[in-house]
Order: sequence, then C-alpha cells, then structure tokens
Amino acid sequence: MNRGLAERFDGTFRHWSLWPCLGVLVALSVYPVLQLVPMAFSTLEIVGGQQTWSFTPRRNLELLLGDAVLRDSISNTLVFVVVSVAFEMVLGLFCAIFIACMPRWRGTARTIMILPILLPPVAIGSMWKLMYNYDFGLFNQMLRAVGIAPANFLGSVDWSLMAVVAVDVWHWTPLVFLILFAAVESLPQDVLEAARIDGASMWQTIRLVILPLLGPALAVAALFRAIAAFKAFDQVYLLTSGGPGTSTELISLHLNRVFFEQNQLGYGAMLSLTVICMIAASLSAGRFAAAKR
Amino acid sequence: MKIRSLAAAAFGTAVAFAATAQAQAPFADVGRQPPISILINSSPWFAGFEKTVELYEKQTGNKVALDVTPFGGMLEKARNAVRGANSPYDILNIDTQWTIEFYEGGTLTPFDEIDPAFALPREVLTYQDSNYWNAAKRWRTRDGGKLMGYSPNGNIHVLYYRGDLVKAAGLQPPKTWDDVAAICEKAGKPPEMYGFVTRGERGNGIRFDWMPFMIGAGADIVKAPADGDYTVTINSPAAKTALDRYVGLMKRCAPPNHGVLGQGDLIQLLSTGKALQGMAVIAAWPSFEDRTKSAVVGKMDAAPVPSFPGGKPGVVIGNWHFVVPKNLPAEKKKAALAFSRWFLTAGAQREYALGGGIPVRSDTFSSDLATRPEFRWMKAYGDSQPFARQELGFAEGAQVEQVLGLRLNQALIGELSTGKALNMAAAEIEELLKRNGRRTGRLANLPE
Amino acid sequence: MIVPLHGHAATIGYCALALSALFIVGPTAWIFLNSIKYQIAIYTGAWVFEPTLQNYVDVLFSRRSDLISNLANSLVVAAISTVLALAIGTLGAYSLHRWHRRKLLARLLLGWTLVFHMIPTLTLVGPWYVLFQALGLYDTLTALVLTHVAINLPLTIWIMMTFFDEVPVELRDAAAIDGCGEFGTFRRIMLPLAVPGLVSAGILSFVFSWNEFSVALNLTSRGTATVPVAIARFAQQYEIQHAQMAAASMVAIVPALLLMAFGQRFVVRGLTTGAVK
Repeated sequence: MNRGLAERFDGTFRHWSLWPCLGVLVALSVYPVLQLVPMAFSTLEIVGGQQTWSFTPRRNLELLLGDAVLRDSISNTLVFVVVSVAFEMVLGLFCAIFIACMPRWRGTARTIMILPILLPPVAIGSMWKLMYNYDFGLFNQMLRAVGIAPANFLGSVDWSLMAVVAVDVWHWTPLVFLILFAAVESLPQDVLEAARIDGASMWQTIRLVILPLLGPALAVAALFRAIAAFKAFDQVYLLTSGGPGTSTELISLHLNRVFFEQNQLGYGAMLSLTVICMIAASLSAGRFAAAKR
Repeated sequence: MKIRSLAAAAFGTAVAFAATAQAQAPFADVGRQPPISILINSSPWFAGFEKTVELYEKQTGNKVALDVTPFGGMLEKARNAVRGANSPYDILNIDTQWTIEFYEGGTLTPFDEIDPAFALPREVLTYQDSNYWNAAKRWRTRDGGKLMGYSPNGNIHVLYYRGDLVKAAGLQPPKTWDDVAAICEKAGKPPEMYGFVTRGERGNGIRFDWMPFMIGAGADIVKAPADGDYTVTINSPAAKTALDRYVGLMKRCAPPNHGVLGQGDLIQLLSTGKALQGMAVIAAWPSFEDRTKSAVVGKMDAAPVPSFPGGKPGVVIGNWHFVVPKNLPAEKKKAALAFSRWFLTAGAQREYALGGGIPVRSDTFSSDLATRPEFRWMKAYGDSQPFARQELGFAEGAQVEQVLGLRLNQALIGELSTGKALNMAAAEIEELLKRNGRRTGRLANLPE
Repeated sequence: MIVPLHGHAATIGYCALALSALFIVGPTAWIFLNSIKYQIAIYTGAWVFEPTLQNYVDVLFSRRSDLISNLANSLVVAAISTVLALAIGTLGAYSLHRWHRRKLLARLLLGWTLVFHMIPTLTLVGPWYVLFQALGLYDTLTALVLTHVAINLPLTIWIMMTFFDEVPVELRDAAAIDGCGEFGTFRRIMLPLAVPGLVSAGILSFVFSWNEFSVALNLTSRGTATVPVAIARFAQQYEIQHAQMAAASMVAIVPALLLMAFGQRFVVRGLTTGAVK
C-alpha cells in the first residue's frame, strides 16, 4: 500500500467502517419492515395462485378495536415483560458482580451460567412442562416430599402467568449476566483501587462506584431483554397455548394465531405494527422515567 | 384372494405381483420416473411410511427424498413451497384444517390435470371427501368436485380404556358417556387413578376433543355449510348438553390441571397407568404398546368413541392430505402421481400397516391383519368409520377454532357458565361469518 | 477479581450465589437426567431408574437421524455468522461511536436497528424466503448465515457502542499524539479495551444462531437443516419424544461450548497482544 492510499484509508476509516453494516441492514431489513406498513392497512387474498391486495384501512382498524382477546393479551404482555425483565436484571446483575468477585473459577462459573441459553427453545418448553406437571412434575414431587399439597402451576388462572415468567427468567437471566459480567470485568481498576484505599465497604463500592459505571451496560441489557420479552413466544406456546382462559395470552401468541394460523396477513401486519408501537411507547416511557430520576 | 382381485379391478393397469414372504401382495408397476421430494412431518406413523417408501425405491428404482419437518413447521413450509416460481417439493402433506386455504388459493394441481384417467381405487378411504374440492360451492365434496389429493394418514378419535381394570371391576367395556361416567365413579380413585381424561388445553386441543361430544349430541357449529347456509347453531340446547357432559366428566374424573391438559399430558397419564379411560387419536396407539414408553403394555384396549344414550358415536376426523403443487414441471407431477398410484395399492398399504402406519384402505382393515393381537385397534377404527365426520370445512375454520378454543376453555375452568360460553361463541362466530359475506344468523340465546 | 470479599459479606454472598446457580443449573441437570432415562421413567418422574445410553445411540447413529450433519451445519452457520456479525457490528459500532449522537444519520441508524429488532420474526421469514429463492440461495447455508448476521447486528452494535463509549477520551487522544492513525487507534486502543464486550457479544451471537428456529426452518431442507430444526422434530403432533429430545439437546451443547471456548481464547489473545494498556 503506498502512503497516499494508506492515509486516505486511515482518514476515512470512521466513515467506511459503517458501510458493511449499512449494506446488510439495507439488503435484509428494509424491504420486510417497509412492506409491513402498507400490508397493515390492506386485505390480502390468494386466488388462483395470485396474491391480491386491496386497501382496507377501516376494516383492519375495526378488527383491531373489536378484538375480544386483545385487551387481555396487552395487559398480560405488560405484566410478563415488567416482571420477567425485572427479575432477570436483578438476578443477572447479582450473579455478574459476585462471580466477578470470585478469586478463581470465574471462567467455569460463566460457562455454567450460560447453559440455559444453549438449549433449544422447543426443548425448554417441553421439559419445563414436564417439571410443572401436576402428577409427576419435579416441583410437585418436592412439595409432596416436604408435606405440602401439590400446586396447580399451569392449570390455575392465578399462577399460570407467573409460572411462564419463571421459565423466561430461567432462560434469559444468562443473557443479562453475560452483558453485565463483561462490563464488570472491564471496569477501570484504578477507580476500584481508589475506593478500596478510601476504605469503602463492599456494599458502598457496589452502590456508589460499580452501579453508576454499569449504567450504559444495564440500559443495553434491559433494552434488549424488554424487546425480546415482548416477542416471547415458543415457551409460552408450548406450556399453556395462552390458557387457561386468557390468563397467559400474550400479544405474540395472538399475533401468531392471526398472522400464521388464520393467515390473515393484513390484520396480522396491523397487529405487528401495534406490537412495535407498544414496545416503542414502553421504551420511551422507561427512558423518560429514568431521565426524571 | 380378495385383496388381489379388488386392486386389480380398481386399477385396470398393469399390476405387478411382488412375491413377498407373507402374501402375494399386488403392487402397481409405474415404470421409470424422475426423483421426487416429499414434505412430510415427523409423527408416530412416519416410520411406517418411510419403510413403505424404501420398498417403493427398491421395487421401482425411482428415488423419493423425504424432508422430515417438525409438525410446528409444516404449514409454513407448505405455504412457502407454493409461492415463488418453483416448488422444492413434489408432494406436500397438509392437515385437514389447512386444505381449504390451499384449495381456494388455486396453488395445487387437481389430479385429472396430470392424468385425466386417474381415479382413486374404491377401497381408499376418503374421510368424508376432504380430498375433493368443488370450487363453485366452496365445499369439499366429490359431487362436482375435483380430486385434489388423498390421505396418507387418517386419524380419528377412539376411546382408550384399561381392559384389565374394567374387567376386574366387573364392568362392561364403555359404549356410552353414561358408561364412561359409571366406570369413572366405580373404578376411578383420583389422584392415584383418574377416571377419564381428554384434552382441555385452550385452542385446537379443547376444540377438537369436544367435537365428539358435540357431534354425538346431534349439535353442529353451523347449519348447512355445504348448501351455503351458515346460520350459527352452536348455542343449541343439544350443544349445551354436550358441553355440560364434557365439563362434568373433566371436573369429576380428570386431574386438577384439566384446563391446560394437552396431548403430551394425556399420553403421559394414559401410559403411566394413571388414567382409566381417555379419548385420544388412534395415532397414540403405538405409544401404549412400547415397553420403553408405557407401563400398560397389553392392558390398553380401544373402543369407538362413546355415544349419548340412543345416539350415534361422534367420531371426528383429523386426516392428512398428499397434494401436488401447481408450480412444478409436468414430469415431476407425473412422477408424484406415479408414486401415489403405487402407494395406494393393497400391497403397499399392507406394508405400511406392518411398518406401524395407519393404512387408508378399507380392505386392509378387513384383512387377516385385523385378527392379530397387535392390531386389535383395527376393529375400533373400522367400526368408527361410518360415523366419521369432518368439521370446520370452510375458509373461516381457523378463526372459528380460535373462538371456540377460548370460550369452551373458559367454560371448563369455570370462568363462564356453559350457556354463556356458547352464547358468546355463537355471537362471535356469526360476526366473523357476516364480515366475510356469508349467509348467516344465529339461534336464540341459551339461558345463562 | 474486582472487589475482594471478606467475612460475613462473603458468606452471605456466596450462599446467595449458590442458590442462584442452583436455580440456573438445576433444570439443566434435570434435563440431562432425562437423557439417560427411558420415556416411561421420564413420564413418572422416577429418581430410581434403569439408566440407558439408548437415547444417545438413537439420536447419533440411528439410520433415520441426521444429527451429526445437523451439528456440522449449525457449527458452520453459527461460527461464520458470529465472526461476520462481530466484524461488521464492531466496525459499525466504532463508526457510530465516533459520530455519536450528534449526527442525525447515526441516530436514525441506531433507531432502525431497534425497530428491526422489534419486528416479530414471523413477519420476516416470508419476504426472506421469496428473496433467497429468487437469488437461488434457498436451501443453502449462505442464506442462513446472511440472515443470522442481520438478526445479530443490532445487539452487537449496541453492546460494542457502550464499550467504545466507556474508553476514556484521553487514551484516544494520547494515541493520536503518538502518531497512531485512526485505524491504528481503533486496532491498538479501542479493540483491546473492548475485548470483554466482544466476547459477550460473540457468545450471544453464537448462541442465538445456534438456537434460531423459524428462519432456519424456512430456508433449509433435510440436507441443510440445523440442530434446532432437528430437535423440534421430536415434538410430534401426537407425541413428544422427551428422551431423544433431551439427549439431542445435551449432545448439541458440547460442540457449542468447545467452539465458544476456542473462539474466546482466539479473540482475547489475538486482540490484546501489542495493545497499549
């Protein structure tokens, strides 16, 4: 490489380094995302092997407003997201800090912690269903062993939502842990050293030094977990199919029924847009609350 | 031999007699064909199908690739296959509930367009003609309908019961729902032994497993869809009798988690010996006879679905369909038809049954196989056939299922009274049928 | 080690940690137990049972199983898509970090990655199937790699951005004064300091690709199917084969762990040598 070229390469590095990323996103995300918008206001039918679109914004809106299970699914989804993400953040943060404090075996501990995210979702759903089983499940075996009456985890309207939340917490705490563990490990050593010399106790160090420095990583972990929790589908579908009644009906399950099982592409797209708006609104609300504090 | 003469008469084509050890079974000679590829789901009957396909490859030298797909991914892959310029599969396997979408969409090839001379052998079960499509009437019927495919597997519900325990209690095999309730009362001891189980899980589970009650009570979802009369009749007194009976049995006899009881739970309860009676699909049979999976080997018996006193059993069909996509070259379509011709011969169906499949020819059920102990389910299956019914055979089927799947489940868990659940379902179904321009209405509300 | 633990705090902390670990590890160990049981022992939840390796033999060597080729497909797809997502994502994150929140384009792009991440996968697979069939890439691992890179980009970019943002500006300026060009600063200062982030983002990309089901299902057929598609086959319409499912899940964990350990060592060694600390 001659000098001029090298300099030009160097001078524009911060610009061209974005191109590959832009390229992938434009090629694979723009069309599907943008197609969703006109679709949400149309009715799609396949007749004679040809797909026909007709513009029916009113019909789709009426479907949305008249949807009997939509309200339940929205409130369940909000509860599901808030509770599961809260538990995942607390547990993940706790494990990240304490494993980082361990004098050795940190690598091994991290490997063990991520085992749940290595399992395929279909196996997780099927296996947890066995664990929750009323007659033979692991949890009721434990309850019986200590003399407590068996619990109806999935079959009672009061417990089913929390039962599916527990599976989500188990499955995804490792993701939060991984992001936060990396952030804890790369904390500037001199700051921690200074805190120690100042005689700060461990809790003081965590509260006053570590947590504020972890802010951005906490935000990213919470952001991505919240988005994914809004879309949670596989396990809930396998565990309860949204029942009993509507007690575990999430908007993602409802979307799956409309878009996929019933093949109502137009109204399905409308529901997808609703999901996206819901996520965006909740994220802005969260950000607003965080900024105010 | 009966099998031979019937098959020969049915085809009128060259029929080859393969000299197998068990029987001189007839197979069709279909000549050299290009390789084909089949989209098929993993299932308890897949092993039997695979063995049959291997025999086809050996006999004819033609190649068949099987893309074994998870059940949960079948509909998506089938939909994808018929989009775009070229289908990657020459035969698609689609569930009965999806057929309307594919028939109406015009994405499949009717068999007479591949070979005008092709006709199904008389013995092949057509499961209430779900493999024919009359486009003008928008209804699945051979009356004015085109042949769109055939069933590789026809599932129906049967009543499984513990023959040993029922006998030990001095009771007769159950024939009516009253018998089921009596056996549950006398020989059931929850939580050690549940008297009767069937699915109560929201969605397809409860909808499908309640249908035998509904049909048996003489109720129906809509009045006469075949003639275009979509008046909603799900809130009839007969339907309420059916729902009361179902909810009563589940509350009295099934485990406390009956509101989420799914197929897996059902098989688990039956094969561990925790359930005395259970209504499930015939496809579950092999699970109960396998020592690695079951504690009740040799103890389970099957009977046709029970009826209401003086009524007929309400047998509901859940069959699969082999269909040929439109977006294929002509020689591939011919090869797919050639395989089909061979697969539907008496010889192939016999191999299919021996391999663990559920055959789709009536003569297989009346053959010597039916007398063997391991095929003791065949009698219940054969006896059920005259009563077997398709339900939800219209475009709005999946939406109706969602409505019923929720409201029935709410009645089961006590969130709604049975009358209120059916009234709500009727109103919602009428609404969605009206939106699609159907001729509809509904019965007067039931008392809530 | 960030803070040394002493006395009561250590005892309480480790007890709580052990409890959390039990919560995470317990169910995984239980699934392992299921993989050496016959189905009937799984059904009854038995603790005393006749152990068997039959399930492993079944999923690995039976004539009907393609698990070994599924594993090979998964390894190729997950490894290549992770490397690509890390490379493209890190470069992109660096670029966005330098422009930061001043420029509208950077903000728009970051927002777009989030919107893309919010889209239900269900609505993506249809258009992607049509696209890749038109390009002649249907039923190839290339198509799968490309889609997985795209799906993993948002998280990678966001994680790497936070790590770049944490690098003290003085360090960067010092490097510039020492005569490091822009690329030199990126390579010698920014990347080594962001290694923990790179490792986490890499693991997450890998794991996601390893378990991704919907896209893999729709863009592959028997020869190109990946592990999650193969394992989902055990969930049949009328029966779930828990024993085989558990065995296949356990088998699938091993190569994933090995490859992650190897990849991590490679990243840490490769990027921290010659770094200005």
